[in-house]
Amino acid sequence: MGRRSVILVAVSSLALSACVQTRQYTDVDFQPPQGDYSLIVMRPDVQVGSLTTAGLVEPRADWTEQARANVLRALREQQAGRGGRTLVMERRDEVRGIDAKLVADLERLHNAVGNSIILHKYLGLGLPTKRRGIDWTLGEDAVRFGRASGMDYALFLYAQDNVASTGRVAMQVLGIAGCFIGFCAPQGGASQTAFASLVDLKTGDVVWFNVLQTGSQLPGVAFGDIRTPQGSAQMVERLLGRMRAGRNVRARQQ
Amino acid sequence: MNELLTRRAILGGFGCACCAGLAGIADARISPQSMTPLITSGYRPTEKDEQGLWHRYERVEHEIAGSNLLVQDKALASYLGGLAERVGGPAAKDLRVYVAHIPEFNAFIAPTGFMVVFSGLLMRMRDEAQLAGVVAHEAGHFLRRHHIRGWRDLRNKTDVLSIAGMAAGLGGGATGVYLGDAVQLAEMGAILSLFAYSRQLEAEADAMGLKLIGQSGYDPTAMPETWQQLIEEVKASARMRRKRPRRGYSLFATHPAPASRMADLRASSREVTGGTGPQARGRDRYLKALSPHRARFLDDQVKLNDPGASLYIVNNLAKDGWNGLLRFYEAEIWRLRGQKGDDARAAQGYAAAIDFPDAPPEAWRNHGYALAKTGRREEGKAALARYLALAPNASDAPMVRFALAQ
Repeated sequence: MGRRSVILVAVSSLALSACVQTRQYTDVDFQPPQGDYSLIVMRPDVQVGSLTTAGLVEPRADWTEQARANVLRALREQQAGRGGRTLVMERRDEVRGIDAKLVADLERLHNAVGNSIILHKYLGLGLPTKRRGIDWTLGEDAVRFGRASGMDYALFLYAQDNVASTGRVAMQVLGIAGCFIGFCAPQGGASQTAFASLVDLKTGDVVWFNVLQTGSQLPGVAFGDIRTPQGSAQMVERLLGRMRAGRNVRARQQ
Repeated sequence: MNELLTRRAILGGFGCACCAGLAGIADARISPQSMTPLITSGYRPTEKDEQGLWHRYERVEHEIAGSNLLVQDKALASYLGGLAERVGGPAAKDLRVYVAHIPEFNAFIAPTGFMVVFSGLLMRMRDEAQLAGVVAHEAGHFLRRHHIRGWRDLRNKTDVLSIAGMAAGLGGGATGVYLGDAVQLAEMGAILSLFAYSRQLEAEADAMGLKLIGQSGYDPTAMPETWQQLIEEVKASARMRRKRPRRGYSLFATHPAPASRMADLRASSREVTGGTGPQARGRDRYLKALSPHRARFLDDQVKLNDPGASLYIVNNLAKDGWNGLLRFYEAEIWRLRGQKGDDARAAQGYAAAIDFPDAPPEAWRNHGYALAKTGRREEGKAALARYLALAPNASDAPMVRFALAQ
């Protein structure tokens, strides 16, 4: 192998380490919402930080506010395109007729349930009794919440975008440039992590769950910047755009 | 107390490094008089990094304010708010205090000025002056902008380190010299200096806090006392478990060792002259505010199954005088330990408790059972009847009635 092909291999393997990944799980009987439905987004958590030269995440207030507004706008538009009415809950006490405590309890419960979905579906600790689709529920509390709010679905949304600072990009460049003199030290750069969890408020079940991850070791390469409207729309589309119907539903369709 | 940077966060950032053989580095005492607040009333961050930090913590506060671990008591909340206002210096109006129902000695403050005090800490305080010392220490972190200073220290040191590491790698790659050992040594130095900086900030908060409570008219010796209590408690706990107490200090500690903190605070408290009035302890005010919860908090502690520490705490609180509540929990500690002779010790405690007018109803119940066990059935029945009279709706009342009918 000549020197050129070695570099080619190195560069292509680096390119592979820059990627977008999503993995969704659905309830076996899940039918993606379509037509006249209502969706409440539960205190969406959108954060943007700057990656320092050494790779630590420094939260940025202005970028976060910007991204948050863009992500929520993109989400509303996307849902409206399917016929859905979207309500974004910013504070726990702002939905009329609903106690802030009930909302807080529901959020904490979802936190625990969401963590166990991630543990058993994404981190490899599969449960033999929960092989097909997702089979988790928030139970009666969620049904009560649905009845009181008059909403059909609740969406829990988290998105974190790390923007590489100039110093970080310089480190990435050096790390790859070093490969030519025998010191290969590729550095992580811009990255996104997001998850969305959809709860059917008629049954209380978590019916759909998706995790999105993007990351790149190539300097200057990012997969959409959620501070911009385009980047936000792209992220929302990746996360919620291709909702798959559940296994049983697909079987019936065939 | 305050975990500005947790040890795990610092070590985790670099991968665990081990370095047991290094000699200790003494952190110098900081004089309270040298401590001046770095912010004024109504402070808001103006720089990007600090704004980002605040923004994130606003959500955290929202979370904590709605937590079901909080002790819901408006009177206690306004008492603590008032205390923070008294010792908060220029931040008096900017501090918020939450009480978490967690039986541990701990308190922390967030960069935005909200404080969380654990119930286990409130339970251990003998008077308002001791608590004022803790609140003032936390206020000191806020007034001296410790969170952002700690973050900048971490950011700058890791930046320098990664640039140096990259330069060494590239230089080594180009010249064929291995510089990995030097890089590792530099990493070690940076890690140690991060911990040292964290300890320095804690020492600053101690000095600032001492100055604040002195200015607000509290007895400054209350602060070293708190550490003395903590040291003694750790020793007492270890003694009863027949273990050696932890030394409480290492190069990887985020906080100075309790013993050196206490010594520094003692020396510093002599420099702090009280305010204009007499040096207050405010014991009555404190006990009044805590009274609706004291029994529950003591109960939490007793059930931690750490009889050495629990006995120390009860005895320490009793330095201000025994009462029915403390005697009852002293007895409970022995009963729950349940070793040879402990039932007799417990019985003695219940008997002592009921002599006080503030003895909890349970003291009568347990006194009754203890008497019955030693064959004094009639006296025991009288005590149980007294329990039922005091707490007719207790959850175990039917069981006690059944016992009485035997």
